[in-house]
Amino acid sequence: MPDHARAQARREWANFGLFLGPALLLLFVFFVAPIVIDLVLAFTDMGRTLAVGKFTFENFERMFTRDTRLLGALGVTFVFVLLTLGIFNVTFALMLALMTTAVPPRLGAFFRAVWLLPRMSPSVVYALLWLWVVDPNERGLLNQIVINVFDMPAIDLRNNHPLLLIILANGFIGASLGMLIFTSAIRSIPEHLFHAARVDGAGAFAIVRHITLPALRWPISYMTIHQSLSLLVSFEYILLITGGGPFYDTTVFSLYAYRRAFETGEYAYGAALSLILVVIGVVAALALWRLMDMKQLLQPPRIEVH
Amino acid sequence: MNWKFGFSGMIAGALFCAATTSALAEDVVIKVWSRADRSGPLRAGNIVAAGDTLNKMLAAAGSDKRVKIELNETNAKGYDDDALDLLKAFAVDKGPDIFVLAHEWTGAFAEAGYALNLEDHITKNPELYGDIIVPLWQSVSYKGARYGVPQDSEVRMYFLNNDKLRKLGKTDKEIGAISARVDAGEFTAYDLCDLAGQAVAKGVTKFGILHRPNAGPDFQMMMEGFGNVPYDKAEAKLQASKAGMKDFFTWVKYCVDKKAFSSTNTAMSWDNIEQAAFAKEEALVFFHGVWRVTDQSKAWNLKGKEDYQKKITWINAPAGKKGGKPSNLSHPIAYAVSAKSKNKDLAAFLVGLASQPYVNTRHAVTTNHTPINYGQQAMPEVIEKGWALVAATPMLKYASFMPNSPKIGQYNSIVFKGIQGVETGRLSADAAATFVIDELGNELGKDVIIRN
Amino acid sequence: MSAHDLVVDGGAPVRADWLALARRSWRRRVGGQSMLLAFLIVVSAPIVLPYFWMMVIAFTARTGGVGSDVLWTACAVIAPAVLIYSIVHMTVAAPRLRLIAGAILLVVVGGLLAALIGGRLHLDNFRFLWRADFVEEVRSKATSGAQFPSVWNAFFNSLLLAVAQTLIILTVSSLAGYYISRFAFRGRSAFLQGMLVLHAFPAMTLIIPIFMMLYWIGLLDTIAGVMLVLAAIELPFYVFVMKGFFDGVPWDIEMSAMTDGATRRQAFYMVVLPQVRFGLIAVAVFAFIRAWEEYIFVRTFLIENKNWVMSLYLFWVSDDVMGVDYGIVAAVAVFYVLPSFLLYIFCQKYLTQMTIGGIKG
Repeated sequence: MPDHARAQARREWANFGLFLGPALLLLFVFFVAPIVIDLVLAFTDMGRTLAVGKFTFENFERMFTRDTRLLGALGVTFVFVLLTLGIFNVTFALMLALMTTAVPPRLGAFFRAVWLLPRMSPSVVYALLWLWVVDPNERGLLNQIVINVFDMPAIDLRNNHPLLLIILANGFIGASLGMLIFTSAIRSIPEHLFHAARVDGAGAFAIVRHITLPALRWPISYMTIHQSLSLLVSFEYILLITGGGPFYDTTVFSLYAYRRAFETGEYAYGAALSLILVVIGVVAALALWRLMDMKQLLQPPRIEVH
Repeated sequence: MNWKFGFSGMIAGALFCAATTSALAEDVVIKVWSRADRSGPLRAGNIVAAGDTLNKMLAAAGSDKRVKIELNETNAKGYDDDALDLLKAFAVDKGPDIFVLAHEWTGAFAEAGYALNLEDHITKNPELYGDIIVPLWQSVSYKGARYGVPQDSEVRMYFLNNDKLRKLGKTDKEIGAISARVDAGEFTAYDLCDLAGQAVAKGVTKFGILHRPNAGPDFQMMMEGFGNVPYDKAEAKLQASKAGMKDFFTWVKYCVDKKAFSSTNTAMSWDNIEQAAFAKEEALVFFHGVWRVTDQSKAWNLKGKEDYQKKITWINAPAGKKGGKPSNLSHPIAYAVSAKSKNKDLAAFLVGLASQPYVNTRHAVTTNHTPINYGQQAMPEVIEKGWALVAATPMLKYASFMPNSPKIGQYNSIVFKGIQGVETGRLSADAAATFVIDELGNELGKDVIIRN
Repeated sequence: MSAHDLVVDGGAPVRADWLALARRSWRRRVGGQSMLLAFLIVVSAPIVLPYFWMMVIAFTARTGGVGSDVLWTACAVIAPAVLIYSIVHMTVAAPRLRLIAGAILLVVVGGLLAALIGGRLHLDNFRFLWRADFVEEVRSKATSGAQFPSVWNAFFNSLLLAVAQTLIILTVSSLAGYYISRFAFRGRSAFLQGMLVLHAFPAMTLIIPIFMMLYWIGLLDTIAGVMLVLAAIELPFYVFVMKGFFDGVPWDIEMSAMTDGATRRQAFYMVVLPQVRFGLIAVAVFAFIRAWEEYIFVRTFLIENKNWVMSLYLFWVSDDVMGVDYGIVAAVAVFYVLPSFLLYIFCQKYLTQMTIGGIKG
């Protein structure tokens, strides 16, 4: 049967190429190769004309010995990720999921749809809305309320509480993903558990504490890691709303790398800075890996016929 | 089928194709890169006009050739951002044939090999460039050669709102004397902040002094009063002095404490600033350039010079100490031709055509920018509509240019961040000076001389 | 008889007790639900209000000013109506009565709004859609504004980008998802692990290297380049999602197809693919919206303004370069948001069925 075996092998390869080839090609050219390039760029002096003059360790020397803003950026990142995650992406997401599943289904779906609005809006529009909300003069939406309803002087979140502003702006978007995932998790809890608990006289809080939360343990850990990772690296809304300012107050680390690269054209230094993020990203991804339902993910496929 | 017929058909077809393709090939495309700048739409527009002129000439000469100008207007926030984008575009062969740039970037583009050395072209075509005001050439020179053609020039100043000064209790006589006192070194930068702070404290205006919200040339003019000269001509390098920076930032901090500078200034949009400074009259002082006369006249419906001068007083940037010299800054915008262009000569001639008095005057009088040719100063249109330019000319006595160092953009960006840090209360005066000196050393390395 | 009496006598208090209990529990439920609803309304207001503000500006602002009175007038009409309807919804059980109450409220609100602010509404801010000389009008006559991209140019660029990127993602991710769901091959677990790392990878940090890459392969400053980059970066996530959907398809379906003589590939696209159509819809919606909103990558990878997409167009309109006319900015924003929202509203029910690595979302 050598002929048959060869034909079989050929078909296997053909299938591999057909099904996985496009994905591998795309990922390699636009994802894996750039990672390698980034690694190389970090050791060059590439400046604003994109020309590489020499290979050097200077970027790392500067990063670790002379960069006075680096620690500050890491600190801002830490506070930003911790608070956004703690307040919105997990806690508030959980509250939304619990509440929207406790009210009649249609209303619950309505409120979930409202909370998904920011995620569905283009980032430029979303950022624009925030800028209009916190506009420091009396025309700003927030100030219209502050001045007319509470009779207080106009407030300027962008200058006086910039960190709060970016936490709010990111949190309003971040809460929706957790909300969706927790909602499906709550829905997949067998209905009879709730009935049994009610028969036993458990109150709403007891039910949440003893039935819902245990069932959500896994989704919550997943969301925590996944969201801290995406908060760690995303800076789009911050860039659009505060530009990382005032001064460096809202410059999280990923934005710091971006600003270094694109504000004055120090591309190599930006690449070196992003390497730190890459390391953090890979470590976190591995942690996620352990958390994932490995058995299910790696479960051998069920059909072997090519 | 008759083969002869088929053959001749083929020939005719081929000839027809050749004719059409060659007709298409006669269209020379010239790409122009210009920041979409409301204060000077005709910078790019004049190149387009030059293309029209040239096409008329070609038609008159019976030529089939035509020039097609493809204009790419960008939405960068300022000339520095735009220059970075353009450098990047050049690096990936997406550069234009002609580009509009702030003059201090000529060095960077020349150094990178993107700006064409125009020395030869300019000397060989005196009929195109012979009338251009001589000192302006300095602004586009780098290492002894000219890499650009100045497109306009200007005068910068603090605009003082006279109505608000009167509300502060100043008499017309006092107001009229301020400008001369600045020039004599009696009225210092500190006095200016005291005055602006007073206006805020007394509730006459919401803001004291409003300045630009992003990095730009204005701040060099402020800094000069404190002995900061960013360029060492002898060494041909950028320089920064620790003492000078400290003096400057001490003043900035003083102004912030007096509420003369607002913590929100650098977070405001240009639009907010314009609204506040013009239509709403929320600022005692506004710091920018003479082309703003256009907006001011529109906002307050001012007719002509006298009307305007009743409303607004101009002053140079005052010295930091009593007895010091005031300073001013002229910041020409320039045309440059790409050294990578396939049609360098044509592009250069288009720049030459766009620099002629008639077209340049259109730009000058509609946006209040100083014209580039000596002859333009005598044009009735300039005299009539450009009264502000004539009136501002004496201020140029104290003017300098920014240095054409390739790294000046980074220098300005760092200084701006220091100013932003102090204004928003994030940095003390000392911390800001240290920040600027550190960052300059880190980013520019041996391209900057740090002095005590 | 007495026994009967006993039952009646004993039964009446029991029944009464039941009713009281039911009433109490109903009261408690309504009370609890009202509190929940009140809380949800309060926390959702900060989201709804800015969007409403944007609409108000887009449809009422005139050059030189934005009247906030329209916003608050409208709120003063709508907020009580929402409140009244909530109370009706909570207290009235019959769907028909709810419907009638809703309809009446709608008419009242519509009438009030028309009377109070109807005269202020206008479409002038949307003139960028049909005025060819819009750019010259807002900037100045002098400029050669005809070369500035029109909104339709940006719109179709965005549409091209979003649709093509969606098609690429649908094709590539369903092929790959199916393969890793069904086939055993050497390196499968390594591939899965790699995909997971890429899924979590901070792709935003790769802007500069990707920029270089696009330049080297000649796709810089093209919509095609951005489309491929976006597709690649989002791909790991969608591969997992599609794998999840394929895992859910019972394998005897394709087995029986293959016993009937179909080849593996035929079985894939004729039998299995239709089974995961909801998954495909969900992936398509997310992929479309993601590409439609893209800003940072297009800002970096697209150079000439003829390649602008909607996000860049909006950014340009909202920037000071031309002096901000809030009415027009808001109108452009409304126009830009509309396709995303419509898509979202019509496909919402498919979106909650996605799974990734056993997680539903």
